[in-house]
Amino acid sequence: MEPAIDVRDLRKTFRTPFRRRKVEALRGVTFTVERGQIFGFVGPNGAGKTTTIRTLMGLIRPSGGTATILGHEIPSRAAREKLGFLPESPYFYDYLTVGELLDLAGRLFGVPHAVRAKRADELIERVGLGRARTQSLKKFSKGMLQRAGLAQALMNDPELVVLDEPMSGLDPIGRKEIRDLIVELRDQGKTVFFSSHILTDVEAIADHVAIIARGSLQATGKPAELLGKTVLGIDVTLRVSADQDLGELTAGASRIRRAAEETSLTLPADTDVDAWLSRAREAGAKLISVTPRHETLEEMFLREIANADRSSEATEGRI
Amino acid sequence: MIGSLLRIWAIALNTFREAARIRVLYGIVVLVIGANVLALVLGEMSIREQTRVAQDIGLAGISLFGSLTAIFLGVFLLYSEVQRRTIHSIVSKPIERWEFVVGKYAGMALVLSVLVALFGVAMLAMLLLQGGGITPAILRALVLAWIEVLTVAAIAIFFSSFSSPFLSGIFALAMWVIGRVTPDIEAAARSAEGWIHWTAKVTLEIVPDIHLFSPSGRVVDGTAVSVHASFVTWSYVGIASLHGLGWICGLLAVACILFHRRDFS
Repeated sequence: MEPAIDVRDLRKTFRTPFRRRKVEALRGVTFTVERGQIFGFVGPNGAGKTTTIRTLMGLIRPSGGTATILGHEIPSRAAREKLGFLPESPYFYDYLTVGELLDLAGRLFGVPHAVRAKRADELIERVGLGRARTQSLKKFSKGMLQRAGLAQALMNDPELVVLDEPMSGLDPIGRKEIRDLIVELRDQGKTVFFSSHILTDVEAIADHVAIIARGSLQATGKPAELLGKTVLGIDVTLRVSADQDLGELTAGASRIRRAAEETSLTLPADTDVDAWLSRAREAGAKLISVTPRHETLEEMFLREIANADRSSEATEGRI
Repeated sequence: MIGSLLRIWAIALNTFREAARIRVLYGIVVLVIGANVLALVLGEMSIREQTRVAQDIGLAGISLFGSLTAIFLGVFLLYSEVQRRTIHSIVSKPIERWEFVVGKYAGMALVLSVLVALFGVAMLAMLLLQGGGITPAILRALVLAWIEVLTVAAIAIFFSSFSSPFLSGIFALAMWVIGRVTPDIEAAARSAEGWIHWTAKVTLEIVPDIHLFSPSGRVVDGTAVSVHASFVTWSYVGIASLHGLGWICGLLAVACILFHRRDFS
């Protein structure tokens, strides 16, 4: 079976309005999204996430490269029949109610009249907009608009759901609800491709991650593979009286924080933990926790972005 | 084919819904009805020409306000979709861009048709109040005014496919005004020489002959032409409508091509 999304050497060059200067938004992006995955597409602002998504959705034409969606080369109406799309900061016709918006989406997807109303009702309840059913979208908060956007993206019961910054502007409860919905969609066998710069959300739910910076893909893989098993340090939390001098126990440690009787610090990865804990006990400290610290997605992201910046500066220097 | 028509209808219906919420349109309806009342008053001031004055002012009101409304609605039609990014959630669905453009035009044409119908009913009511009858000539004049408004709408949507509302408004207004004075331009093309001759000739080729839709006020073969008189027959209306339809199709086709090539970033 063909992958849900297959992108090969995708390029997009814009020209600035007056000077007609070339701006390379995508510089040969290549990645594959397998079916049934939650694929997190991360990158800083201006990295090329939205340009990639808009190119895949047929909103902008690529300057080079190829891409297929569900086996159909873009832009393809056949592919768009099987996918649902939530744009970044979605703008909808604000004079419509959520029911009318879903009716319009259903008509464009060719959903039969009898199914349309029933599915719209189900989706309105599913995204938690039942109480706002009669309000026009003009009166919706950003979070409510995001939910309405998700509902319209699901009107055709799509095989692939593409979400551009779905958690943006939501409060923690809203973010969790969207995360749960994405996982639910994956569990139903759908593929979800979403972009985000909220890395904790990506780390929490993505089966596969791609990092993009300056229009180029920096890394792609499963989070566990990307982050590796290497221990970067050992986080220790102790209970010691506030006025006690920890002396040589803190030698080589980083991120030392003392609050009331609780002290937490990070020891170097090669520390002999047993010996260090014995010395701590001798000094009168009581152990609360010891945790090996692995690289987080955020740390890896920052590292990759820094690498991209360095490589870009080096290229520009050579030119 | 049926799928295309259903998608075009969905966009048209939505466009109609959107326009129905524009309060300015209700103001225009009031203005036109006011113009008809004014026609009634002016008609009373004339000697034995009450019906004629009411007809002239009524039809001029439909042509003027209908065309201005078409320009006002048309220049925002595609531009605002791109600016407000509402287009993103539409063209990412299985709809072709040409279907979207045609659907937007169809929705606007529906709104304008309702307006022209309202204006027409108001005018006919005034004529009946004055004791005049509803003649086939008046109905022919109304059909011509309706085709004029639909042609002007196509001009506006054509400019809206690649230009800002301000520029589109200026271009569409200029095209409408020039289109209404084609007999004068034809005269210039015949009598002038040099660059005036060629400019007039080129203008006649690139501007729809909107004067066809309100031919009153001209003299043909020594007879004063009026939409109220027998000069304008149903076959004339048919030919003028075909001219309008040709321009509508042509302008929409170019608008679809231009819109198809655009990036929505």
